[in-house]
Amino acid sequence: MEIVFISKLKPFLDAVAEQMELYVPKKAGDYYVFRRYEVSDEAVEFNNIRTCTPVKEFLFPLREVAAVFPEPVEPEDIKPFAVFGLKDCDLRSIEILDKVFAEEEFKDPFYVKRRENMFIISSDCSNPGESCFCTVFDGRPFAGSGFDLNVSQVSGGFVIEVGSDKGKDFVEKHSQLFTEVPEALLSERDENRAQAQKQLEQNNADYEFDKPIREIVEGGQDSDVFDAEAKSCVECQACTRICPTCHCFYLYDTKQKDYFAKMKMWDSCMRMAYAEVAGGANPHKVLGDRIKHRLMHKFVYFLDRYGIDMCVGCGRCVDGCAGEADIRTVLRKLSEELKDKKEAKTAK
Amino acid sequence: MNQNPYQPINGEIVDIIDESPTIKTFVIVPEEEFRFGTGQFVELTLPGEGEAPFTPSSSPAETKKMEITIMKTGRVTGLLHECEKGQKVGIRGPFGNGYPIDDFVGKYIYIVGGGVGLAPIRSLFLTLVERIKDFKSIVCRFGARTPDDFIYKQTLFDAWREIAGVDMKLTVDKADGEWKGSVGVVTTVCAREDVHIKNAVAVVCGPPIMMKFATLKLLGCGFKAKDIYLSMEKNMSCGIGKCGHCMIGKYYVCKDGPVFTYDQIKDYPKIWD
Repeated sequence: MEIVFISKLKPFLDAVAEQMELYVPKKAGDYYVFRRYEVSDEAVEFNNIRTCTPVKEFLFPLREVAAVFPEPVEPEDIKPFAVFGLKDCDLRSIEILDKVFAEEEFKDPFYVKRRENMFIISSDCSNPGESCFCTVFDGRPFAGSGFDLNVSQVSGGFVIEVGSDKGKDFVEKHSQLFTEVPEALLSERDENRAQAQKQLEQNNADYEFDKPIREIVEGGQDSDVFDAEAKSCVECQACTRICPTCHCFYLYDTKQKDYFAKMKMWDSCMRMAYAEVAGGANPHKVLGDRIKHRLMHKFVYFLDRYGIDMCVGCGRCVDGCAGEADIRTVLRKLSEELKDKKEAKTAK
Repeated sequence: MNQNPYQPINGEIVDIIDESPTIKTFVIVPEEEFRFGTGQFVELTLPGEGEAPFTPSSSPAETKKMEITIMKTGRVTGLLHECEKGQKVGIRGPFGNGYPIDDFVGKYIYIVGGGVGLAPIRSLFLTLVERIKDFKSIVCRFGARTPDDFIYKQTLFDAWREIAGVDMKLTVDKADGEWKGSVGVVTTVCAREDVHIKNAVAVVCGPPIMMKFATLKLLGCGFKAKDIYLSMEKNMSCGIGKCGHCMIGKYYVCKDGPVFTYDQIKDYPKIWD
């Protein structure tokens, strides 16, 4: 794997922006969001933590045209684009979305096209947040794979690692930008990474479970925890909208001047009428049942279908919740109840 | 564009048949060849208004046109009921698995249906009848609220019951003066003695409450959960197992169903709600 060094970010990002649209993290209040990069931008921020918005917005936009009829039109051509500042949790969320939209028998042509055209420049998390819990899901504050290029901040510059042929092509094409990495800076990068990982593990020491999370959630299906959670939930649906792995969508029809269109828009299983049929039947009428379904989908059903959890521990749902719910404490409560149940059984 | 699963093909409503006060059958001619397996469903679009899932009620052997029987029950179905001949529609699909007819060969087929649930059953029935010698017999136990609420009256009340190998009983919740059949919910005309249960499969389609009690009755008669085939109705939308609205546990009804054995779904919560 090729590793190179740059002292400044700007010339590197300018070179990317010369080739394709580039999105970079910018501060909006307390959080980072992705904004279009302009070569005239003076400073570029290195985000030490993931953005607030999920990476799915690039691959599966909030709203898009899914079909035009009666005369079909070729979908809008997707041009190559790059995103800088994605974290390991973001890359893992892409892996999850790929399973649904790009690797199944039915592929989503819009997702596939965007995915092929996306140039991923990930970066290390040198300062993970209080809500971050990737380590609970075997994640790390730095990416091991799934990127084209990865950037790590070190003294006096940035270490850049190549992760794909696309990334390699870029580095070769712009060889004048890069220099060799001094050995000491590589060790510094590794120390930074270990430090961030340690910080995450300490922050989440209370959430080290002695059982697979699947067993905890499945075993807690009769628990009152979900109804208790419902009491502080205001049904804003932020947890699902902001989640990088949630991918429910809603199809609806519109009438334009001389054509009809089928639109595809993000939806949320937290919405009351989400599962309702025209006749009025609705298996998820009760809010607690919807909260339970959300967790069952993430930790049981998705695992059954695709072999991985539908959660990367990014903690966005924790930051976004108006009711101050924390998915980690829900899991902990379920885990404790399960232990109590088991102890009660042994006592008998 | 064929690669886009959200793209409907164009079609036209060429005939509309009144079945009951709230149910109509729409005869639709797709502009392109459209083949489906019995029990699979389609997403029917009323352009600019919306789409909804329906299982065609015609035989898959009929490839030029397709019939869809629709009860007026929500916004899109209400608008469809106001449509006239010549209305353009969009069709996506077919989606899902359909009935595994080949697994039924050599067996008694015990079909329990109610209300507009007879729509998918009609397609299944016509498919089975085409190769009726492959099966021991076809037993039909159909129910409706009143005699007037039965759909497919012309064929149901005479032509179908006269087919050799078909054993049919009809029942209504509420009879009128002319009704000669049974009175009572559909489970009252289901009996253990009707078929040799060890060599039978059951197919159930109807309103959720009827499906629930029919399933319980069939289990009581001795049917195994793996031999009871249920046509599940959930909020199917994308049709390709992604959008999430129709999930029963790990299953997407649109992709893994809509036909499930009771055995597959019995342990998941609120399947009848």
